[in-house]
Amino acid sequence: MRSKSKTLLWQKITLHAVLTPLAIIWLFPLWVMFVFSTMPDYGIFSPDIVLIPSTNFIENFKNLQADTDFLRAMFISIAVAVIYTILSVFLTSMAGWALARYRFAGKPFVIAIILGTITLPFAVVVIPQFIMVAREFKLANTWIALIVPPLFNSLGVLFMRQSFSMMPGELFDAARVEGVKEWQIFLRVALPLARPTMAALAIILFLASWNNYLWPLLINSRPGMMTAPVALGTLIGLTKVSWGGIMAGAVLLTAPILVIFVLLQRHFIAGITAGAVK
Amino acid sequence: MCFKFLSASVSLALLAVTPASAQSDTVTIWSWNVAASALKSTLEGFNKKYPDIKVTVHDLGNDQVFDKTLAACAAGGDGLPDIVTVENFEAELFWSRFPDCFTDLTALGYTSEKQALFPDFKRTELEMDGIAYAAPWDSGPVAVFYRRDFYEKAGVDPATIKNWDDFIAAGKKVMAANPGTVMAQADFNGDSEWFRMIANEQGCGYFSTDGQSITINQPACVATLEKIKEMKDAGIITAAIWDEKIQANTAGKAASQMYGAWYEGTIRSGSPDLSGKWGVYPMPSLTEDGPHAANLGGSSLAISSVSENKEAAWKFIDYALTTNEGQVTMLKSFGLVPSLLSAIDDPFVKEPQPYWGGQTIWSDILATLPKIVPSRGTPFQSDADAIYMATQTKYFAGGYPDAKAALDDAAKQIETATGLPLAE
Amino acid sequence: MPSRNRVAYAFLAPYLLIFATFWVWPIISSFLLSFQNTRVNPWRFQPSLNWGRLVADPAFYNALYNTLIILVIQVPVMIALATVMAVLLNSPLLKARPLYRFAFFAPVVVGEVAYAAVFRLMFSADFGIINKLITSIGFAPVSWFDNATAAMILIIIAVTWRWAGYNAIIILAGLQSIPGDVYEAATLDRVSKRQQFLHITLPLLKPIILFCAVLSVIGTMQLFTEPFLITNRGGPGGGTETLGLLLYRQGFTSLNFGYASAIAYTIAALAIAISLLNLWVAREPK
Repeated sequence: MRSKSKTLLWQKITLHAVLTPLAIIWLFPLWVMFVFSTMPDYGIFSPDIVLIPSTNFIENFKNLQADTDFLRAMFISIAVAVIYTILSVFLTSMAGWALARYRFAGKPFVIAIILGTITLPFAVVVIPQFIMVAREFKLANTWIALIVPPLFNSLGVLFMRQSFSMMPGELFDAARVEGVKEWQIFLRVALPLARPTMAALAIILFLASWNNYLWPLLINSRPGMMTAPVALGTLIGLTKVSWGGIMAGAVLLTAPILVIFVLLQRHFIAGITAGAVK
Repeated sequence: MCFKFLSASVSLALLAVTPASAQSDTVTIWSWNVAASALKSTLEGFNKKYPDIKVTVHDLGNDQVFDKTLAACAAGGDGLPDIVTVENFEAELFWSRFPDCFTDLTALGYTSEKQALFPDFKRTELEMDGIAYAAPWDSGPVAVFYRRDFYEKAGVDPATIKNWDDFIAAGKKVMAANPGTVMAQADFNGDSEWFRMIANEQGCGYFSTDGQSITINQPACVATLEKIKEMKDAGIITAAIWDEKIQANTAGKAASQMYGAWYEGTIRSGSPDLSGKWGVYPMPSLTEDGPHAANLGGSSLAISSVSENKEAAWKFIDYALTTNEGQVTMLKSFGLVPSLLSAIDDPFVKEPQPYWGGQTIWSDILATLPKIVPSRGTPFQSDADAIYMATQTKYFAGGYPDAKAALDDAAKQIETATGLPLAE
Repeated sequence: MPSRNRVAYAFLAPYLLIFATFWVWPIISSFLLSFQNTRVNPWRFQPSLNWGRLVADPAFYNALYNTLIILVIQVPVMIALATVMAVLLNSPLLKARPLYRFAFFAPVVVGEVAYAAVFRLMFSADFGIINKLITSIGFAPVSWFDNATAAMILIIIAVTWRWAGYNAIIILAGLQSIPGDVYEAATLDRVSKRQQFLHITLPLLKPIILFCAVLSVIGTMQLFTEPFLITNRGGPGGGTETLGLLLYRQGFTSLNFGYASAIAYTIAALAIAISLLNLWVAREPK
C-alpha cells in the first residue's frame, strides 16, 4: 500500500514538472502583450526587457478610442459572434445528424460538397462572393451579411457528424420503436448526448467569428459597422504604428473571450460529467 | 431549387437595412492614419472658403483602403466614397484593371496648368492616355537621417559624404568611435527599399519609364546591387525590418537611416527624447558628381466614378493639394511632404526645425523634388518586387557569380511573369 | 441506419440553402476565372495562360516547397504535442487543472494582429527577449527575420504555439467521451496504465487524431496569417512564402484574379490528395 502511494506521488510530481514549464512558455507571449499594453510606445522599444506592467494602459486606450470607436466595434463583434455561434451550432448539428444517422438519396453528393468546400481557400471565393452579396443582394453594411454567409461551415458539420456517429445506434432505434418522431429523437435524445462536442464546437465557432478579419473588412465598409479586429487593423499602416494602442486593443479583444472561455470551461466539465452518468 | 433560391434572396432583401443615401453637399474620403489626420487639418481652411461642403474623412488602415477599394471596384464601384487615397506605386494597378471605377479629373478642372504644378515623377503613374485618374498629394524625396552626436564623435562631416564609397569610409569611422552602433539599416526581409532608392537615383528601375519593357538588368541597376552588397559585406549596413529600425533609433544603435522624407515624423514621434540629436543630409551618389535625388513612396487622391458630388469633391482636392495653404498645413501638422513644387517658397519651409537641431530640413529636402527621375510602378510592380527580393536574398547568400547574373535571372523571371519584353 | 429522404433533407435544408444562396456561384465563378486572362480589359478566355504560368513559375515551386516543409515538420510535432497535452490534462492526478487548461487554450483566442505584433517584438534581432535569452546562455543571437531557415523555424514555433491548444481541445473532448468503465475493467484485469494508453486510449482516439491531422493539413495548405504578419509577407525574399500567401499576393496585391484562382484550385486539389492519403494510410486493416 505504501509503495503504491509513493508511485502515485512520483507520477504526480513528474506530471506537474512536465506541465508547469510548458504552461509558462505558453502563457509568456500573452503576458508580454499585457505588459506592452501598459507601456508608452518608446518604452516598448527601449533596449531593456521589462516584464512588469507599467501605468500607461488608460492613456493607450484613450489614444485607441480617439483613433477609432473601439467600444462600438467591440459591441458589434460581441453581438455578431453570439448570434452566429447559436445559429451555427444548431445548423451544423442538424446537418451532422442527418449525415450520421440516415441513408438518403444524394448523400455522396452532399458529402462531396462538404469535403470539397473545406479544402477550398476562402481567399479565392471572397471576390465573387463579395460582388454577389454587395451588388446583387444589396446587403453591404448589414448584420445579415456579417452573419449568414459564414454559417455555411463544413468543418462544424463534420465535427457534429463524428459525434453523432460515435453514439450507440440502439438508443435511437429504441426510441423509434416507441414511436418517437425523428425531430424529437434529435432534440431530446441526440442533442443532450452531444453537449460536450457542442460546447467545444461553440468555442471554436465563437472564436472564428470573433477573430474573422477579411470578410467583415470587405463587406462592412461603413465605420459605424466595423468589427473590433477590423477597427484594430485600421491602426496599422505605413507611416505610423501605435504599438501601445494596438496592444491595449489586443488586450481588450482577448480579455472578454478569455473570461467567456473560463465560464464555458465549467459548462464543458458539467456536460462531460452529465454524459458519464448517462 | 430555383424557387428556393429566389425566395431566399427576396426574404434576405426585405430584411436588409437600407443604406443611408448620401446628402448632396457631403464629401466622404477614405484615407489612413497620419494621412487622414493631415487631411482633417485642412478642413478648417477649406470650410472658410466653402462653408456649404461638409467633408468627412474616414480613417481606415492603409491595407484596408487598398482592399476595400479593390473589392468595391470589382463590385462595380458599389460602396466607394467620393474620394479615395491611392499609393503611387499601386496606382497603375487600379487604372489598368478598373479604368471605369475612377473619374477623369481633367473634366472637373484639373487643367494642364494645374498639372504642371507637380513634378513629372509624381504624374507618371497617375495619367494614362490623356486621362488624369488622380492628383498628386505627398511624396517621399529620399534623405539620409543621421545622429549628429555619433558623427561628431567620429569626426565625420556629413557634407563630405558625396558618394557611397565616402559613406562606407565614414561608416567605418562612426562605428569605430561609437561601439555597438551600425552606420545604417536596410530591410532585407520584406522590402527592397535600398535597391529602389539608389536605382531610382541612378535613373534605373524594374521597368522603363514608358512601362513597356524590363530594365532591371541594365548597368545602373547592376551597379546599385553591387554597391549594396559591398556595403553589407563591409558591415556598415545590417538587416532590420521596419519595427527593428524604430527600436534601433530609440535605443541609439543606428547612426543613420535612409528613407523617404515621410520618415521624419516616425523618428520625431518615435524618439521624442532625442530632440536636437538628429540631422538630415542628401543621399550619396554612386559617382563623384552623380545625382543625389530619389523618391520612395507617396500618395495621391482620386475621385470615384460613382460619386454623386464630383464637383464638390474636386473643390476639396483642388484646395488641399494644389494650393500652398492646403499642402503646407499638412506638412506642418503631420510632416507630409508636399509634391506641389511651389511649396518650397512657403515661409514655413524655410523655418529651422528645433527637433532637427535647428536645421531647415524641409527646404533641404524639397529642393531635391525637381531633380527626381520618374520610376514607373506599372501594374506588374508587386510581381517584379517579389522576384527582385528573392533574387537579392539568393545573391547575398552566394547563389549567383555576380550582380549581373543575379539581375539577368530576375529579368528573365519578370519576363515570364508579366509577358513584357526585356529592354534592348 | 434508416433510409429517410424527406427527414434527412429537412435536417439539411437550412445548411444547403445557405450553400446554394451564397457559395455555389462564387465557387463556380472563381473556377472559370482560372482560365481567363484577368490582366486585360475586358477579361479574355485564355485557358493556357494561368495554368501554363503555374507549372513554370519558380515562385510557385518555392511556395510549394515551403508549405511541404511545414506540413512534414510542424503538423506531426503539433499533433503529438496536442495529444500529450490532452492526455496529461485528463489525468486524475492533476492539481489546478483549469489553470493548465487555460494556459494551453489561451493562445487560440488571441487575434491575428496582436499575436503577430507580440511575436515580432519578442523575436526582434537586437532587442527581442528571445535573443536576449539565447545570448545569456552563451550562443550567438539569431537573425530571425533575415535568415530564411531561422524565419521558417520562427513560423513553425508560432503556428505550433497558436494551434496546439486548439487540437488539444478536440482530442480532450474525444478522450472524455471514452467511457470510464472501459478503464475500470482494464484496471481490474491488472492491465498497466501504459498498456491501457497504448491499447485502449490511442486506438479509441485514432479517429479524432486523424480528424485533427486532416484539419491541420488543410490549415497548412492555406497557411497565411503567420508568414504574412510575422515574417513580413513571406520574407526574407520568399523564404517563408507559403501557397496561401502566394495566392493572396497574386489575388490582392497584383490583382491577378485569374492566376490566383488557378493557385487556389491547385491548393484545394493538393489538400484533398494529401487528406485522402492520410486516411488511406490510417485505414482500418480489413
